[in-house]
Amino acid sequence: MAVIRQDNKPVYVLHTYPFRETSLVVELFTREFGRISALAKGARRPRAAMRGMLQSFQPLIATWSGKAELKNLHGVEWRGGLHVLHGQALICGFYLNELMLRLLPREDAHEALFEHYEEALRALARDEEQSIVLRRFETRLLQELGYALPLDHEAESATPIEPEQWYCFVLERGPVRLEAGESGVQLLGKTLLDMGLDDYSDPQTQLQSKQLMRALVSHYLGDKPLHTRQLLIDLQQL
Amino acid sequence: MKSLTALDQLIESLRCLPGVGPKSAQRMAYHLLQRDRNGAQHLAMSLQNALSRIHHCLKCNNFSESEVCDLCASGKRDAHQLCVVEMPTDLLMLEQTQTYHGMYFVLMGRLSPLDGVGPKEIHLDRLLKRAQDGEVQEVILATNYTVEGEATAHYVGELLKARGLKVSRIARGLPMGGEIEHVDIGTLAQAMMERRSLR
Ligand SMILES: [Zn+2]
Repeated sequence: MAVIRQDNKPVYVLHTYPFRETSLVVELFTREFGRISALAKGARRPRAAMRGMLQSFQPLIATWSGKAELKNLHGVEWRGGLHVLHGQALICGFYLNELMLRLLPREDAHEALFEHYEEALRALARDEEQSIVLRRFETRLLQELGYALPLDHEAESATPIEPEQWYCFVLERGPVRLEAGESGVQLLGKTLLDMGLDDYSDPQTQLQSKQLMRALVSHYLGDKPLHTRQLLIDLQQL
Repeated sequence: MKSLTALDQLIESLRCLPGVGPKSAQRMAYHLLQRDRNGAQHLAMSLQNALSRIHHCLKCNNFSESEVCDLCASGKRDAHQLCVVEMPTDLLMLEQTQTYHGMYFVLMGRLSPLDGVGPKEIHLDRLLKRAQDGEVQEVILATNYTVEGEATAHYVGELLKARGLKVSRIARGLPMGGEIEHVDIGTLAQAMMERRSLR
């Protein structure tokens, strides 16, 4: 019989929704079980032990049980350490969470992604260049989810990417030489190779990787735009 | 299709209250109709009355029966300070401290990116206008210390600073009488990171 209770597992809160008068539905990203939803009964009561703890971006350990899609959350505790995200970094954090909520299926384990997520939060808390943190995470998220994102060889072939060659990145396939006349995001081979090596020091790499990841993320998200992106647009209009 | 009876309609309407499901709505409806028709009459009138008379104060956005609420109209408050809170209950709490004598602006919410709550929903345009009335000098951000409250404070703060206003954020740390041994680790970690030098 399957184990139905999990004790003290590392988690992050991706989002919470009020449920009934005093409870919360919590979307958790767990290291071992991927994304799960759990009901935190009474968590909105004034003196509830979990009140104030169920905040995004904080390293927590959680205990839950249940076989149904909605688990019962029994308790959370601080795992130690703290990622303090300030200002714009906080919105970047919301963006990461929104991507995960939209793209990550429930109860699909992704241990490596948990490490990448944690590393992204740490980098945001350290005030590292936000666009680079986001590009790195988007790339790893899509690769981890199994979407085609070859960075060192051409689509459907073993031909290595050449730094000086221009390519066209075709959605669902990968880079093909520009001469092939396909439609997609146009970029230099060096950008793909840099992304593969996690080197974003070249401004051109930053620009082209942004265009590429934006196209890929929108493609996999489908029609519904991201709230976090809309929020930034609305704020700029004030 | 049969149209809803008056009873069905009442039960359905009661369900708009938070935490009220079909069962409790039915119980409430029977209670009102059977045991407390006077109370029901009174409730109906109070609701009608409140709906037609209570609006948002033009200055602070709090609920008010007059165009400008009593607090904003009172000449006794310091017009140089404007405190921004999320909800009317937050304003009431701050008033109870008797430590603040300035004006308020009630957002009636907070920026919540993942729920699609943006600047429009929390009346940021009105706050910006209010803060630039020429009298306000300092804006005190008293939104919650949740991630949404922090994001709200950041953006409101940036927008106001860009308009030349002095902006501060309420402090956080150990609670009154807080003993380190018994305080939660998150609060303690924040208190350590945001420590201040002794004067
Ligand atoms: Zn007022």
